[in-house]
Amino acid sequence: MPILEVKNLKKYFATQKAVDDISLSIEQGQIFGLLGPNGAGKTTLIRMITGIFYPDSGSIIFDGQPFNPANDIAKIGYMPEERGLYKKMKIGEQTLYLAQLKGISKKEATGKIKEWFAKFEMESWWNKKVEDLSKGMQQKLQFVTTVLHNPKLIILDEPFSGLDPVNSNLIKDEIFNLAQQGATIIFSTHRMEQVEEICDHIILVNRGQKILDGTVHQVKQDFKEYLYRISLTGTGNDITDNEVFVIKDRSDNSLIIQKQEGKSNNEILQYLLSNGASIESFNEILPSLNDIFIRQVEGTPLARRFQEVH
Amino acid sequence: MNKTFLIIQREFLTRVRKKTFIISTLLFPLLYLGLIFGTGYIGAKSSTVLKIAVVDSSRKFTAEKIEKANTEDPSSILTLVKEDPKALSKNFENKGYDGYTVIPSGMMVSKSPGAVSIKSNRTLGAIPAVQAKLNGIWNDIKYEELGIDTEKRETLADSHLSVSAENMQDKNADGTNAMIIGYAAGFLVYFILLIYGSQVMMGVMEEKTNRIAEVMVSSVKPFQLMLGKIVGIALVALTQFLLWIAFVFIIYNVSKAAVDANPSMAQMVGGAQKIFTSVNMGLLLTLFAFYFLGGFFFYSSIYAAVGSAVNEDVREAQSLSFPITLIIIFAIFMLTIAMKDPTSPVAVWTSIIPFTSPIVMMARVAYGVPGTVPYWELALSMISLVGGFLFMVWFAGKIYRTGILMYGKKPTWKEMIKWAMRK
Repeated sequence: MPILEVKNLKKYFATQKAVDDISLSIEQGQIFGLLGPNGAGKTTLIRMITGIFYPDSGSIIFDGQPFNPANDIAKIGYMPEERGLYKKMKIGEQTLYLAQLKGISKKEATGKIKEWFAKFEMESWWNKKVEDLSKGMQQKLQFVTTVLHNPKLIILDEPFSGLDPVNSNLIKDEIFNLAQQGATIIFSTHRMEQVEEICDHIILVNRGQKILDGTVHQVKQDFKEYLYRISLTGTGNDITDNEVFVIKDRSDNSLIIQKQEGKSNNEILQYLLSNGASIESFNEILPSLNDIFIRQVEGTPLARRFQEVH
Repeated sequence: MNKTFLIIQREFLTRVRKKTFIISTLLFPLLYLGLIFGTGYIGAKSSTVLKIAVVDSSRKFTAEKIEKANTEDPSSILTLVKEDPKALSKNFENKGYDGYTVIPSGMMVSKSPGAVSIKSNRTLGAIPAVQAKLNGIWNDIKYEELGIDTEKRETLADSHLSVSAENMQDKNADGTNAMIIGYAAGFLVYFILLIYGSQVMMGVMEEKTNRIAEVMVSSVKPFQLMLGKIVGIALVALTQFLLWIAFVFIIYNVSKAAVDANPSMAQMVGGAQKIFTSVNMGLLLTLFAFYFLGGFFFYSSIYAAVGSAVNEDVREAQSLSFPITLIIIFAIFMLTIAMKDPTSPVAVWTSIIPFTSPIVMMARVAYGVPGTVPYWELALSMISLVGGFLFMVWFAGKIYRTGILMYGKKPTWKEMIKWAMRK
């Protein structure tokens, strides 16, 4: 059963169709990538899922029930891209306050905070103020406040911005951990290398509409151009375009070829072998998500123009 | 509602625990008293004692009479000199006088003596004191010449008509006392609205610029966040007031003994007591609490809406909140009108409209209920204030909901009203 199901969601603002008929479904335990250029409607979509905005039309099913913000926001942890904390408030008190607002008791929250602070080596921070922390440290604290109440659904908007590689890995490991324990994670970013590394399933949103939906593997397969890299022991100078493949690029000891339609990999190898090539390696080149992203979004204005909404 | 309570608690505690709260609570009354007594003290210290030479051509201002006047009133020193006025006009400064005066010959008690001028090389400020002193001497001369003895003089001085206003509806009402209380209460509400109202605005702006607003609204409704802040800050204001009242009570009791020993102080305290007993203190305090809270909710929700709409720029906030400040200042003008004539149509209507009623009505009720303010006016004013602030909190909540998550250019009032109209 999917933990979150969104059907035909729409949200129009005065000058923009921010979210224009988006449907998606997220299974429990998934790490779900929500991708899209700036202004694509990601934040608006997330704000509807977190109960901050009411959709104009469409439905949200959360955990098998129609989404009811008043009760369900306690089961959601949201770290917005525009995030922050009360600068003058002590860190322990602040974490406790945010946890209590999520509906957990003071006693339970205190125990959980101590656990998390120990895990992230933050015990000495309790009586410090947020303004005393570096940006990276604030980010770690923000992550703790987001996941402290054991949410079923965790929504992270650009969680690694401003983090050094060590702390990035720390958070990444925790994201995997939480997913393993059964939490579902929606991960919104435009850093594609992280998405490839972390996410199981992605959707790509542009101009308020969903333009891609699938597992990372599936999407790559869908967008592959049947390109292969062949390394040879000798030069491949005598190999030319033929009915099995065309040569896209050639360097000293390697070729990049594109398979002709309807041919199989075996036929490529057979052709090469029968032409006396000595093959060192043979790899398929799959497009990176970055390439797919750019290809899909290219040609559409990056910052959305204001449009008339009827 | 539990969450709103948590927010109220945080807003209250973070403010009350701040050093600035403790310092301002302790220091404000001291500063206030210091200002009053300090200026009085400096004024008394720095007032110059004028030395005036008196040339008496009338032969009525004797050295004996002048000496008596000097001991009774030391605020200036008069010295009888026998010099020629012409010579004196050249050398009075060398002799240490600030100025000199010539009492003309032929001054008669039977006709008005006319003007006497004090000649000096600069413009003297303390002339009224000298005038009073010379008239004191002149009075002695008059009584002597008319043959009125000390006993008769006292009888004459004691016998005078005393005129006071009496409200037939309310025998206890006293115009002067009502005026003092009305001003005090009206200005107090005015200060609360301005100081704590802008605190609400700054608090909302802090949440927005710290970028914590979106984190918060993923846990609580924006309306709860706004209401929690307003109520929390209202409680801070209330706490500060209760502390001040407690201070006054303690200081009053501690200094009672000292006051009783000092007749002029006793008179002052007695005067203050008379003011408090002349009005219905219970009713007045209840109404004060009502109008203070009602006015605070009414205005601070507008301030919250402004705070939610602007970005970090303080000037933006100032320019957007300026019209609100202007309305509050307008209410103070209406207060002065209501003080002069508490039953005029302007006073009645401004004490009913919720924009001005928290300030103006406080001034009017001091004149007496139902004598000056009939029950129906009070009821209408209270109902419209409750209705007004409920509407305002709802209305501001809608602006707040949109504004708190909106970054970018400063909206105009027109755009903000559009946000509120959206469903």
